[in-house]
Amino acid sequence: MTASSGESDPVAAEPDRALGTGLPLTDPPVAPPSPIREVVRASPRRPPVRVPSPVSDDLFAEDDYGQTLLSSLIRAQLGVTVSVLLPAAVLLCLYPLLAVLVPSIARATVLGVPLALIVLGGGIYPPLILLGVWYVRRAERLEQRFSDLLHDE
Amino acid sequence: MTQPAAIVALVAVAIVTAIIGARGLRVSRTPADFLVAARQVPPFLNASAISGEYLSAASFLGIAGLTLLEGLGALWYAVGYVAGYLVLLAAVAAPLRRFGAYTIPDFAEGRLGSPLLRRVATVMVLVISGFYLLPQLKGAGITLEVAFGGPYWIGVVVLGVVVTTGIASGGMKSITLVQAFQYWLKLTAIAVPAVALLLFFHHGSFGSVQQTVAPIFSRRTDVVFPDAETISVHRAVTVQALGNVDGASLRGALRLVHGNYTVAAGTHLSFPAGSAAPDLSSAPAPAGSAWASPLVHLNGVADHPMAATYGVLLATALGAIGLPHILVRFYTNRDGQGARRTTAVVIALLSCFYVFPALFAALGRLEAPGLYVTSQTDSVVLVLPRLVSSGIAGTLLGALVAAGAFAAFLSTSSGLLISMAGAISHDILGRGVRAFRFAAVALGVIATALGLLVAGISINLLVGWAFAIAASSFGPLLLLGIWWRRLTWVGALMGLVLGGGAASAAVVLAMAGVGQQGWPAVLLSEPAIWTVPLAFLAMVLGSLATRRSLPADVTGKLLALHLPEHLRRHRPAAASFPP
Repeated sequence: MTASSGESDPVAAEPDRALGTGLPLTDPPVAPPSPIREVVRASPRRPPVRVPSPVSDDLFAEDDYGQTLLSSLIRAQLGVTVSVLLPAAVLLCLYPLLAVLVPSIARATVLGVPLALIVLGGGIYPPLILLGVWYVRRAERLEQRFSDLLHDE
Repeated sequence: MTQPAAIVALVAVAIVTAIIGARGLRVSRTPADFLVAARQVPPFLNASAISGEYLSAASFLGIAGLTLLEGLGALWYAVGYVAGYLVLLAAVAAPLRRFGAYTIPDFAEGRLGSPLLRRVATVMVLVISGFYLLPQLKGAGITLEVAFGGPYWIGVVVLGVVVTTGIASGGMKSITLVQAFQYWLKLTAIAVPAVALLLFFHHGSFGSVQQTVAPIFSRRTDVVFPDAETISVHRAVTVQALGNVDGASLRGALRLVHGNYTVAAGTHLSFPAGSAAPDLSSAPAPAGSAWASPLVHLNGVADHPMAATYGVLLATALGAIGLPHILVRFYTNRDGQGARRTTAVVIALLSCFYVFPALFAALGRLEAPGLYVTSQTDSVVLVLPRLVSSGIAGTLLGALVAAGAFAAFLSTSSGLLISMAGAISHDILGRGVRAFRFAAVALGVIATALGLLVAGISINLLVGWAFAIAASSFGPLLLLGIWWRRLTWVGALMGLVLGGGAASAAVVLAMAGVGQQGWPAVLLSEPAIWTVPLAFLAMVLGSLATRRSLPADVTGKLLALHLPEHLRRHRPAAASFPP
């Protein structure tokens, strides 16, 4: 089955598509009418319609398998997100907490420079940058694995 | 006093901006070009542009000023501004780009299927952008005041005209290049003077910051009082006075002993090197150990510092994802992966920048205590170069920071005006380039007029307000809309109205002077600590209570958000751009 099969022409079906979704679950003719009927003008730069790979159709099927695939993807992505944001939150929240609990930390100096200036004026940024880079690499690898999974089947 | 070098620098920024903008004019044709620059922007350029747009008056002047005023704890604002991009990267950037909506109202309606929610979100965009735009205009007014010694309104009008013309004629393609240029200009303009001052003109030690009770004048300092003030002197000192102190006209040496003195507007007091700076009775400078504390001290008072610190962190980290002018820029990425890479670069670029306001604040504490006495701490970045070095170096460095500050207002106000004009032309006036231009000009005129009225309102209050409202409304909407299947439009609406409304109300009360200390001060000035949980709670409970209003094809929406582009049946909604 291809997107342009049957009596539906995806280009003609375009105006019926809900704003922003871009992905009808089923072929446009049998999809329930979207609550928002945004009339959308075709842009002159419309890219060519892509012929789908057969396996990825499973994702769009409204059966349990498609649902399971999708929720496993979302759960895995959320896992990567949380595993980056949680350490960041701990990192950020720890210093004020320690400064309140242990007053000598609030007054500490390193080589005569207040610790607060060293940490808040620069020291705290490299870990944040590294967490960001780590996230990008893991998220890209996750998506690669997911698409390999689909194409292997 | 007029600063010719600074004026030349400001004019140069305006001209270069106009030239780069005009280059973009020729390639701007369709509405898509205007709003998202046709998605042809590579990650590094786009990251520079996002950073350029993000670094506003608050970052360039406000953080150093607030840190000088309240202490190193105020640097948590800068840390939160960067951490906000980590949240954006890990939770929002790729899904939002994949979803294919251009603005937050687009996202709200596209994801949850409610035109009413869209209208409420549009109003929020205007409120948040408006409160973010006014301090930019005010910053321009102050900067040109310092540069020209002329009236405040000149800067406001100049900025209003330059920005409005740029947007109405060039659209965002030009703006992308302009913003990217301005990031590097801003970084240069703050880094070069900071490093130069540190290496060549600063001879003290940062350690002394902590030991002194009051700031010490490191050199003979001439303090000019722009307004009448009451100062309190802790250590007797002999100053050279010109003007009126305690009702007596003076010219010559004056012995100040421990106690309070009334100083008339326009009075010059010249303090000898090594003397302790007097305090402004209404707002005493924090003592050294309090100043060097890593906690947020609201109004310089250490009331519930941990709650205040976490409030700042929450508002800035979640507020960044809810800023309307930043989100639209993510559609200039090619795809979700591009959006991620761009955001990661943004974190690095912002981190590089925020080192320097911290440096300026520390140097200001050591070198320019006079700013406390005249309550001009917000201008520390602008005036420090000339205070520290009276020669040609100080003049040139001063011109450089003035140019950077002007670039900061220029780029952020452009972005804000684009999102406001986009929201209005998109949702109210109808579509197309002409409506967008009309909206841009109308809003530019209105904003400039309002900018003239806010001369007396603190830059930081207005910017903080914008962040707190964004964190309590769009922040939860985006996080839950992207990651939580069961969000309904009713729940989202409740969260927007309750969270955004409570945050606005709290800050209005704080501005009106309600609750000056203790818990009321913390909860009203840093409302995010309770309004963000409130918004999340309202969205979750409201959604669970209205399961029937779940959008028809939630699965389709989640696919659109989370599925990598190459696995899609069709290309993403690029073709179905709502003009």
